[in-house]
Amino acid sequence: MDKKKMKILVVVDVVILVALIIILMSLKGGYEEQAKRTANEQESAYLEKNSQVLVEQWRSVDQYSMAWKLVYSMLSGAKTEAAFNSNLAAIEGDKDARFKQISHLYTGAGINDAVQNGIFQKAGLAEGSILVKNDKNVKDVACGKNCVVKFSFAKGKLKNVDYSALVQYNLANSLKIEKPAEYHFE
Amino acid sequence: MNLKNISIALTVLVFGVIAMLFMQKGNYVNQAKEHYDATTAKSFKGNSMVLELVNNGIEMNKQTWAIACGALQTVKNSQDMARLEAKFFPATKGSNSIANKTRRFEASSANVIVSTFAKVEEDKKTGVKSLAGLQSVDVSVLLGKAVASAESDEGADEEGADEE
Repeated sequence: MDKKKMKILVVVDVVILVALIIILMSLKGGYEEQAKRTANEQESAYLEKNSQVLVEQWRSVDQYSMAWKLVYSMLSGAKTEAAFNSNLAAIEGDKDARFKQISHLYTGAGINDAVQNGIFQKAGLAEGSILVKNDKNVKDVACGKNCVVKFSFAKGKLKNVDYSALVQYNLANSLKIEKPAEYHFE
Repeated sequence: MNLKNISIALTVLVFGVIAMLFMQKGNYVNQAKEHYDATTAKSFKGNSMVLELVNNGIEMNKQTWAIACGALQTVKNSQDMARLEAKFFPATKGSNSIANKTRRFEASSANVIVSTFAKVEEDKKTGVKSLAGLQSVDVSVLLGKAVASAESDEGADEEGADEE
């Protein structure tokens, strides 16, 4: 190869090199920012999805706890429709007692106060009434996810309480923490 | 000759930079993946544990409530109560306090119920005392209101009388 061609090759190499370095530097920032952003977005989405499961569990335990308290109140006290209504209102209205009962179950299960408070901050207490059906003789009470207690009345007197759903209550069938999906760089 | 060496070195450098260009994306993707995997794995583990512990807590809690509510419907004396307890917790037995006319059942420190009876009965043949006439079932521990204190007076405990 003669000297002239060598010179041309050197010049072309230098030009390509400079261009590549410019491309390298400009892409570097872009890739770094994109990788961090997509990782953060996917992490946040997963963490939020998980915390929603715990929120749902907390609210279900609130309904579950209120339902047991109501069943107990009806079996241990006056067995009338009026008593049912006043017991239900008292149980739903006493938010401190509701929190205490949930917290007691969580503490007994080995969940510390910090974790409980973290869930409670997001979940609060179950919204709305647990009374999901209010016919004259049949009243259905929600006792958590996929759980209903049936109170039957005849002429204003309690005839039967079917709380078998509470005795068989099992959240493991309906609430699950999903494994994280693979990270993808978009 | 000198120019030739420079041009070869520059050409090698050009290919080196092209290789770097392709590799840098992979490096950032790997770093991001490592961070994502570590964060999500920690969340999966921690939240799964909470979910499972609470579900286990519910298992014991619901059975204790079932004894309390079942007792209000069917139990007349401490023998009936012992049978009901054994149905849900075959390995855990309640204990009578003859002096206080109470029977305490403790599935765990968080799951305790105390039943109060009206009177003490004594088997004339064996002399074994038991409790009769269920009056109430205290569930204040289940409600998180109080930690029920142990009331069993060992000397008067006639637990054996309630076993089937």
